[in-house]
Parts: sequence; C-alpha cells; structure tokens
Amino acid sequence: MMVLRWFVSQWLVSLTLLLYLWVGWVKPEKALMALQSGATLLGSVCLLVLAVMGLVGLVQVWISRDTVARLLGQDSGPKALLIAALCGTLLIGPPYIIFPLLMTIRKQGARWAVVTIVLAAYAVKLPMIPLEVGFLGWPFSLGRSLLTLFFAIPTGLIVEKMMEQSGR
Amino acid sequence: MLKTGLIYLVAIAIIYLFCFKEDAEKGRQSLTAARQTLLRMFPLLLSIFALIGLFQEFVPPELVHSWLGADNHFLSLLNGGLAGAVAIGPPVAAFPIAGSFIESGAWPPAAAAFIVSWVSVGVVTLPVEAHVFGWRFTLWRNAVTFVSALLIGLLIGGLI
Repeated sequence: MMVLRWFVSQWLVSLTLLLYLWVGWVKPEKALMALQSGATLLGSVCLLVLAVMGLVGLVQVWISRDTVARLLGQDSGPKALLIAALCGTLLIGPPYIIFPLLMTIRKQGARWAVVTIVLAAYAVKLPMIPLEVGFLGWPFSLGRSLLTLFFAIPTGLIVEKMMEQSGR
Repeated sequence: MLKTGLIYLVAIAIIYLFCFKEDAEKGRQSLTAARQTLLRMFPLLLSIFALIGLFQEFVPPELVHSWLGADNHFLSLLNGGLAGAVAIGPPVAAFPIAGSFIESGAWPPAAAAFIVSWVSVGVVTLPVEAHVFGWRFTLWRNAVTFVSALLIGLLIGGLI
C-alpha cells in the first residue's frame, strides 16, 4: 500500500512537472502566467491549509479510531445508523486505512448499513469545511454537507438490502 | 481569504493551547500528526495548484461550459459525477478544482456532484475496496453512492 500511495502521489507531481516543461518549451509566457495564477491561489489559502491540517491532527489524536470502532460495534438499532453518520463525518484518513477498520467492525457484528453509512458520511469531511467555504462559499458548503449526511442513511439501507438479497 | 485563514488559524491555536493544558503528551502527538499530514500533502498540493494554473490558462471557459454548463443539465451532472469518480487525489484538492470549474462557467450542481463522487466513489480504488469487502458490496456501494452524489448535486441547485 505504501508503495502504491507513493507511486500515485509521485505520479501526479511528475505529470505536473512534465506538463510545465512541455508548456514552458512551447509557450513560455503562458507557462509563467499559469504558474503565477496557481501560486496566487495557493498563497491566498496557505493559512487556511495550515489551520485545517492543525485541526486534522487534533481529530486524529483526540478522537481515536479505536473509540469509533467500539461505538459502532456496540449497537445495531436505528441509533447505530445515526452514530455511524456522525462518526463518518469525523473520520479522517485515506480509504486504505478506513476500509480495513470498517471491515474489522463488520466482523465484530456491525451491520452492512453501518459500514456504508460511515463511508458515505466520510464525504462530509467536517474538519475541512473551512477550506470548502473558502473556495465555494457558505451556502454551497453547508448545503452539500447536510445533503450528504441526509443521503448517507438511505444509501446504507439500500446497500444493506442488496447484500441481504444476494446472500440468500 | 487570507483574513479568514488567519481567523481559523488563531482559533485552532487556542484549541491547541487548551489541549496542551489538558494533556501535554496528546497535544504534542496532535502537532506531530498535523505536521506529518501537511508534509505528506505538500507536494500534492503544490502540483494541484500548479495544475489549476494551467487549467485556467489553457482550458477555455467555453469548453468547461459545454461539458459542465447549465445548457444541458442532465449531461453536466453526469459529467461532473463521472469526472469525480475517476479522479484520484486528496479530498482537499476537490474544493479548489470545483471552485475553478464554477469560475469557468460550470453549473454548481455539477460541481457538487463532482466533489461528492470525488470523495466517496472511487473507480481507481475499486480493487482495493473489493479486496477488503468483496466485489458484491463494493459494486453496490459505489453504484448507490454515485446515484446519490448526482441527487445531492441536483438538490444543491435548488438551494443556492
């Protein structure tokens, strides 16, 4: 996994470098302008990025994944679905860490709906909302987060239904 | 946006102060986790913003408009969702990219579908997900989530 992640990240970096080399060769003045507008954008959000990373660090340490796993495995009623939605918004980390964590919870007895809801609510990214607001504004960000949360539970129930049907 | 960033940064710093008072060891761990995440993301963030620069210089707004514009709602929504599903990259990057789409004339619901499916639908990570959960669950989850990404995008159009 480490190798894959390294490869993917390097892949994007190398693609960018190659594109810039090519553009710089063909149209140097446009490459410079592109670099400038990218740098301006980055400059305008660098403090926000720092703040969000600080928040990510806090969430990672103070809301431990073990606690989340314990919370999710305990209950199987409707309350579990709500807890799953809330936990999903707070979980941070790449999917290849979250997937095995959720499979562990599933093996401990959590419903498929819980697994799906966590993965759906995981798209809310609560700690990163300041960045989203910075780029897209409050109405967009708030609407998207609430709707994602709202859709998480039906998504989970549908997927669970499909899993049960195919299991027979 | 610098001012907003500063406000957030000060707020986070204050939270850190409280955390250090509560438990210095955990406070240090948080700082380390934050630094590691930042360092890991840094080359990626640089490339993403450099790519957005290229995008703004070379992709004409007409093109964005014809792919993601408000002329053909259904197609724009589908394109936004598909682009998000295929794309790989950290979730943080989805926001500036979607922002530059909208600036170039994309229909906001298409941009919203793009963000949601960027984060929660992964075509490239399908094999990884299937390895952990099995194919049946993986395919159903991604399919249902993709449809809900489109619906979320559509509803956002009604909200803003």
